[in-house]
Amino acid sequence: MSRRLLSWLALAAVSLSMLVFAAVDDGAPATNADKAYALATDFACPVCQGQSVAESDVPVARTIRREIRVWVDEGRTDAFIRAQLVANFGEDIDYTPAASGVTSLVWILPVVAGAVAVGGLTVVFRRWRDEPDLTASADDEAVVAAARSRP
Amino acid sequence: MSNSALGAASVALGLAAAVCAVVVVVLGLAGRRQGWFREVRLLAWVMMAAATAGVVVMERALITRDFTVAFVAEHGSSQTPALFNIATLWSALEGSILLWTLVLCGYVLAVVLKFAAKGDDPMLAWALLTLFVVAGFFFALMVGPSAPFDRFAPPPGYDGPGPNPLLQNHILMAFHPPILYLGYVGFTVPFAFAIGALCTGRVGEGWLLATRRWTVMAWGYLTLGIVLGAWWSYETLGWGGYWAWDPVENASFLPWLTGTAFIHSVMVQERRGMLRVWNLSLVISTFALTILGTFITRSGVLQSVHAFVESGIGPWLLTFFAVIVIVSLGLIGWRGDELRAPGKIDSPVSREGAFLANNVLFAAFAFVVLLGTIFPLIVEAIDGRTISVGNPYFERMTMPIGFVLLFLMAIAPVLPWRKASGEVLSDRLHWPAWIGAGAMVVAAFLGARGWSPMLAFGLGGFAGGAALRQVVLATRRQGWRGLVGRTNGGMVVHLGVVLIAVAFAASNAYVRQGEFTMAVGDSAQISGHTLTYEGSHVTEHTNRTEKSARVLVDDVKIYEPAIAQYPFAGRTIGIPSVRSTWTDDIALSVLTFPEGSDDTVVLRATVQPLIVWLWVGGLVMAAGTLLAVVPGKRRRPTAATSAPPVSHEVPV
Repeated sequence: MSRRLLSWLALAAVSLSMLVFAAVDDGAPATNADKAYALATDFACPVCQGQSVAESDVPVARTIRREIRVWVDEGRTDAFIRAQLVANFGEDIDYTPAASGVTSLVWILPVVAGAVAVGGLTVVFRRWRDEPDLTASADDEAVVAAARSRP
Repeated sequence: MSNSALGAASVALGLAAAVCAVVVVVLGLAGRRQGWFREVRLLAWVMMAAATAGVVVMERALITRDFTVAFVAEHGSSQTPALFNIATLWSALEGSILLWTLVLCGYVLAVVLKFAAKGDDPMLAWALLTLFVVAGFFFALMVGPSAPFDRFAPPPGYDGPGPNPLLQNHILMAFHPPILYLGYVGFTVPFAFAIGALCTGRVGEGWLLATRRWTVMAWGYLTLGIVLGAWWSYETLGWGGYWAWDPVENASFLPWLTGTAFIHSVMVQERRGMLRVWNLSLVISTFALTILGTFITRSGVLQSVHAFVESGIGPWLLTFFAVIVIVSLGLIGWRGDELRAPGKIDSPVSREGAFLANNVLFAAFAFVVLLGTIFPLIVEAIDGRTISVGNPYFERMTMPIGFVLLFLMAIAPVLPWRKASGEVLSDRLHWPAWIGAGAMVVAAFLGARGWSPMLAFGLGGFAGGAALRQVVLATRRQGWRGLVGRTNGGMVVHLGVVLIAVAFAASNAYVRQGEFTMAVGDSAQISGHTLTYEGSHVTEHTNRTEKSARVLVDDVKIYEPAIAQYPFAGRTIGIPSVRSTWTDDIALSVLTFPEGSDDTVVLRATVQPLIVWLWVGGLVMAAGTLLAVVPGKRRRPTAATSAPPVSHEVPV
């Protein structure tokens, strides 16, 4: 085995073990405050434009943050909290479009478009591969020879 | 003469000059007007003078607080500090359009002067026609629905509210919008030449070469504008964030994505003559997206579908957008046969294969962002529901694309054209890959956890290593010249991207936020930092009253986040205070000083690692762009416009 190959194998081992280690050992477990903060970024502040509940300074956003924190402390699931907020403030508080009905399109369309793009590229590359390479005719050779012999 | 009359006159003059220029170019193209170019040059100067006059008059009105101008009455104030008084121009719609027009006229004039030697070339004529039509459209906006110089009769003692307080408390507000506009508007130039190429049928590489630097500069300005915007929101909005996927941000990001795809795929066309339709489509999309973005952000359509009818500018922009798309598609269809490219890509594992993948990814990225941005409108149109699409959607959909792009960024610069062998790759990628692995080990030692940030660090190190390798090789070969020119400058830009990607991953993954209610003397702990509240004080400014909290951070230095009341604007905003170091940032903001309690504060602290590197990365990208437009290795001088196709024949 060449030295280069060994080095690549070592590199793969190091990288993989780092990734696995980082995935398995989550460090300090998330505190309730962290969980509440993460959840708050998933909801739109009902009276602001373009700010999430986590970001906004307005009183209603602070109230919702407190509610979320209480629910997290009570051990409620994310789904419960989501349902509560949607029931209280309407569907447009939820930044994550539902994966059912019309709104599922926002998830499906990019995947379909990506699949079409990859499929199209595969077809094109296959066609390119099957295409014969250009071969030079006698005339072409003559042109090149003439061009080369010019001073 | 009053400012209103002067301003309205200069706008009218600009419109007249644009219309005249369109007529002159058309006559010139029809062969009915000799020396049309000299007249066009004069008209470009007139347009520039008119737009400059418009801006100068508006600034004079703002500075002298001339409330007979409605725009000043609505957005100016005697209380606004001088610098922000000047910046008030771009704090609202009408002034923004005025600034946009000035920048556009500057670009038009620059094109006219730069290509003066090619004054009789039909491709230039078509490009100029396009530019003048666009300029005419913007002047028409200012005569029609977005008139900046409407009159107002102020009652005695009238004073305006001033611009939105958020737009007048940070110095970056003076730079971010103009630089962003230099980027947005700059894409009009390559667009115009693309239309010129389509109209004349000279769809070869000439128009690309002619506009290469213009495109790269526009892209650089857009990049810098976006980064400064993120910085501004981080420093002023007080939520510890810098990017929220909000429609306004997305509107600036969309042309950046297609523009980035374009400046990469251009190289495939220059080198191999391929991807002609694709490149034309990209440059046209980029320009069209700047218009669509302006429509989305300026018409109010995204707050509610109903606001659309009320705003005057929306239908104009939407119509203009539709015209651009229809005309461009029509032209591409008409020239379809000539656009068919010779040649093929031999192997996906090659430089051109990587560029193709890059383009597919950027197009997908742009599609996701566009879809997410306008999707609430689509749903509301279909079944009347109001929904939101935000952070979780964009992060989930764009993260995989970002990872693949980072990976491509690592391997693409070392890939040879046409075909790569495994041996070449193994040789060239060896130490960049070890830098990636090393980055992961270092990150793990420093406490990084979670697979996705770890992957980002690894790929970031890999991509950074690859870019560094190119820079080192180039400078070793060419000395300082190894830093300039498109390829080398591009590698410096890549280094900036890596910095931003790593900082983005780290700050997103390891953000900690806490809210603390503290009495004087209380301390709080967050992410290993100690915050001590030492009391508050009130300061009076000309335009606002500030109540600041004195917060001692880590027993080292006092920071003073505040709440400011702007009586004229009738608004209260937070003024955050940020402690930045090379390793982490603490953003402090006062949520409230609860009433009835003596000197208590509700403080929010957001701790994020590596934030500074976002801004450093942005500056590195801007510097790399500058290096990229400096002429590098002397190439054979290229004609300013595409030579007619005949010249492709080999002379015998």
